Amino acid sequence: MLSYILRRILLLFPTLIGITMVVFFVMALSPGRVTDSLQASEANMRPEERQRIEAYLKKRYGLGDPLVVQYGRWLNRVSPVGFKEAGEGFPRSTTIGFKTPDLGESFIRRRPVLDIILEALPVTLLLNLITIPIVYVVSITSGIWAARKRGQAFDVTSGVVLLALYSMPEIWIGVMVLGFFASRDYLQWFPTSGTHDVLAAQMAFLPVFVDGVFHRGWLLDAVWHLILPIIVMTYGSFAFMSKLMRSSVLENLTADYARTARAKGLTEHVVLFRHVLSNSVLPLITVAASILPGLLGGAVIVESIFGLNGMGKLMLEAIKTKDQELILSQTFVVGIIGLGSLIVADICYAIADPRVSYE
Amino acid sequence: MSDLAVGQALPTGAPPVPDRPLVARSWLAGVVLRTVGQISARVGLVWIGTIAFCAVFAPLLASSYPILLRVDNKWSSPLAAHLTAVDWTLLAAVPVVGVLLLLKSLSFARRFGIFLSITLALLTILLLTLDPKRTNVYDQFRALDTTGRVQSIWRTPIPYSPSDRLRDQFDAARPHPWAPSRDHWMGTEINGGDILSNMIHGCRIAMSVGFISTGIALVIGIFVGAMMGYFAGVVDLVGMRLVEIFSAIPRIYLLLAFVAFYDRNIYIIMAIIGVTGWVGDARFVRAEFLKLRNLDFVHAAIAAGLPLRSVLFRHILPNALAPLLVSASFGVAGAILAESTLSFLGLGLIDEPSWGRLLDQARAGGGGFHWWLATFPGIAIFLTVLAYNLIGESLRDALDPKLSGGQ
Repeated sequence: MLSYILRRILLLFPTLIGITMVVFFVMALSPGRVTDSLQASEANMRPEERQRIEAYLKKRYGLGDPLVVQYGRWLNRVSPVGFKEAGEGFPRSTTIGFKTPDLGESFIRRRPVLDIILEALPVTLLLNLITIPIVYVVSITSGIWAARKRGQAFDVTSGVVLLALYSMPEIWIGVMVLGFFASRDYLQWFPTSGTHDVLAAQMAFLPVFVDGVFHRGWLLDAVWHLILPIIVMTYGSFAFMSKLMRSSVLENLTADYARTARAKGLTEHVVLFRHVLSNSVLPLITVAASILPGLLGGAVIVESIFGLNGMGKLMLEAIKTKDQELILSQTFVVGIIGLGSLIVADICYAIADPRVSYE
Repeated sequence: MSDLAVGQALPTGAPPVPDRPLVARSWLAGVVLRTVGQISARVGLVWIGTIAFCAVFAPLLASSYPILLRVDNKWSSPLAAHLTAVDWTLLAAVPVVGVLLLLKSLSFARRFGIFLSITLALLTILLLTLDPKRTNVYDQFRALDTTGRVQSIWRTPIPYSPSDRLRDQFDAARPHPWAPSRDHWMGTEINGGDILSNMIHGCRIAMSVGFISTGIALVIGIFVGAMMGYFAGVVDLVGMRLVEIFSAIPRIYLLLAFVAFYDRNIYIIMAIIGVTGWVGDARFVRAEFLKLRNLDFVHAAIAAGLPLRSVLFRHILPNALAPLLVSASFGVAGAILAESTLSFLGLGLIDEPSWGRLLDQARAGGGGFHWWLATFPGIAIFLTVLAYNLIGESLRDALDPKLSGGQ
């Protein structure tokens, strides 16, 4: 198994390079080419500013070099391992070592891209970290119930309802939920945007009563702001996972070992929760890899609807202001996170299921 | 493909029963028939049929131009003068499909080929010859109607074009969007266009983006998947890295990055939705090809000296088609969702009626909400996606040997 894990990690590198190639060549082969499109957005600015940007672009991408050379240059800059000094022309310095990846600079925001992304990433990760456990708990529960009541009312209705939920576009549910529960025209139960109240910094962490007046505190304030976004992010993932869980439980309930357990005289309850359950969860581990990129994508919609300052909203703003360095780096960072989750899921599966053989 | 056509009667050994002749169907045809037999698939097909009807007859259903008009004893058809080449081709395609459905002696593939060549030829000719009126003065016929010179007028059921912004009905006291009323059954959008009309014309984009981008995704997916599955080894290793790249980056980030760097028109949107959506198809095809590549009929085909192209796509592929149908069905749903999401985020087509763009307008400034702009387009997207998902599920059930009752 160790050799499998090693092989899996070694195969990570070509994929990683592939991701950088996709990201770079999407930009490089676009009608404006790398530098044209970067410069086009800066058409009206002071001459000295313009000169600074041109010098920056020349250093970073090497204006006029062949595309492959430009790509190599860019790759050296964004990777944490590489030539330490990338001078004019192709880097001639031979000092290879670890360095901080240089994701470039956003001219619109006048800040390093890395800083901007590190600010937005926690919001998106928080959304996902809350969403994933909810999705797992709900779908495992409903999957088990559907399998136990196979062919009965609960099984059939939950199947139909979950497929319908799965088909409801997030853009629609997001707008409807926001409109009916947070707009001034209808129920104003929840805030319309943000992760915190403006005054959240001054709140106590937990809810308190001061002079008989209720103060909701920082934690409750965050929950209050996040309820609607989390609902919109979770509901769509139930169907797929719960269906998988249902068929997996059904398969295991008829397996030989389950029959042996029953023959020993164990109750159906013990058979299900002691023996079948742990085996049935296995397929859900592999699926984790495929739902994480999906959830990161869903965060784009949720963040734009509910005004949360995460990666998704940042990406949309970057596109609207034509902040190309930011767009590239974000696609790159999200790709790395997706790839990381793919690998982690594979390794978890290898550890959880010792039966699987890897040549 | 020809041997996979639906409903070919073959001579069988058993004596034929007069009422229901024994018909030997291909396995794929059986799967399709079993799918259509399920209620959920029928519901899905009915809805998609409605959408297709709206897409083809959109200009006849909702337009500001009267179909027929008699003024000063002269008959004219303002609508016909404004129809584009695409409109005419779609309308002409309907009788062509009707005739071809009656020609049962031809195989399905041949009929499809004839249909495709006729429509493409027609479209090219019309695009070159037809020059529809470009200037749109939508309110001229409403104005004409009030003068009393009109002797007879035959309007479309919804007398508003999607981009007709009702300039003649401007009312400062009642700014757009208007809530649903008797004149505008689904209300108006923020620029004053009729929503029902926009919804009907939006069917075209949904249908065309759904089918064409899924087609692109299928072509890429089949090619990459076939290569990986057939050659295995190093090709498979490299191909799987490609698949991994495209499944690691969330689809919407890829779409957004493409949209940010390339021009926006319908063909580019279709292409990028297709290019980002082939991973699932490739996985399916790869799995099937890995299973089939060592079977006897493949060895026989290779031994017969057939070229690789023939072995791959003529002999192996037809046996791997059925699971692809499931994947394609979910693919169409995904493509429609992707298009409306892009439009919703303000990155889709400009000035084209699209369900996603209407949905985007539901959020008014200052925390307000126009329920009709969220409800109707949202339900349309939901039902269309649901319809394709239902068909995909039914196909999957029909393919599952455990459920098909030993057929």
